[in-house]
Amino acid sequence: MFQVIGGRSVQAARVLAPRSAVLVEAVRGRKSRTDPVARSKVGRIKVPPPVDPVEMVVLKERYGEYQMIMRALRLEFKEEMLRKRYEEDTGSLAEERARQEAQEHRVLMDLNHLENQRMLKLRIVRVQKEKEEADRKKFEVILQREQEQQEIEDAKNFITLENLDQRIEEALDNPKNYNFAIDKQGKVVKQTMLQ
Amino acid sequence: MVQLSSLLLKKYHGGYVVLRFALAGHKQANRPFYRIVAAYNKRARDGKYLEQLGSYDPLPNISNEKLVSLNFDRIKYWIGCGAHTTKPVAKLLGLAGFFPLHPMTITDAERQRAQTELTATGTEDGLREGRKEAEV
Repeated sequence: MFQVIGGRSVQAARVLAPRSAVLVEAVRGRKSRTDPVARSKVGRIKVPPPVDPVEMVVLKERYGEYQMIMRALRLEFKEEMLRKRYEEDTGSLAEERARQEAQEHRVLMDLNHLENQRMLKLRIVRVQKEKEEADRKKFEVILQREQEQQEIEDAKNFITLENLDQRIEEALDNPKNYNFAIDKQGKVVKQTMLQ
Repeated sequence: MVQLSSLLLKKYHGGYVVLRFALAGHKQANRPFYRIVAAYNKRARDGKYLEQLGSYDPLPNISNEKLVSLNFDRIKYWIGCGAHTTKPVAKLLGLAGFFPLHPMTITDAERQRAQTELTATGTEDGLREGRKEAEV
């Protein structure tokens, strides 16, 4: 009959200042089996509302009709649903739609094919360029290395402070003659008058 | 008719679909507004529904009309799938003309008419008695 409450409703119920330590509230359908009958209801005999037999007969007839019509309506709606679904799945429109879809698919696949071809060409060109770039870089590296080697070799022939005296002596000992004569036929003559 | 919409979260054993009123949660005291809704039977009245099929405003508007909206196409679908209707929804649809008129609508109307006639004759008799007493 009385239900213990707790939580948010506690705040509001506290205003009523109950004497019990635990807060209780009245709940709908509150009498349990063991609760005694209220004093005002001791001799009460519950009587259902009176039924008019004429009205009841009429009502029964009306209800029968109503239920029959409702049953028929339900079956009709069911049939309509099934027919619609059947039409959707295997109707004339469905075939056209399927055909159109297949056509669209074919068109799209062709477009895709063309795209692939184009991309292939571009890719080939790009790969070629990259290969050439790589080759050129390799050549450059080789050239660099050759240059460095050449520089090392040249460095051996440089004139430094230690070699200075030696090289001067050598130069003075071996005079080099840069004069030469050339014929009209292109014959080179290196023998000249040394001075 | 198999209900092909997926029963996603809560699987109901032996549950059925029902077309009924659900209070639209406007959170205004003394201003109800109902949605006509297809929901599982065991769900709360205002809880999760499958589909909304219309609305019903119980308070009359400025031109003294009670506005109702109904999605007949979808109602047909659900009834075809085997949904039940509650009494008020059946009565409303009967008044709308989609279903046959519910027997209780007719009987209530007849009873009300009888009541009004009784009170009218009662007042007439009362008036007549009063006049007779006055004459006497």
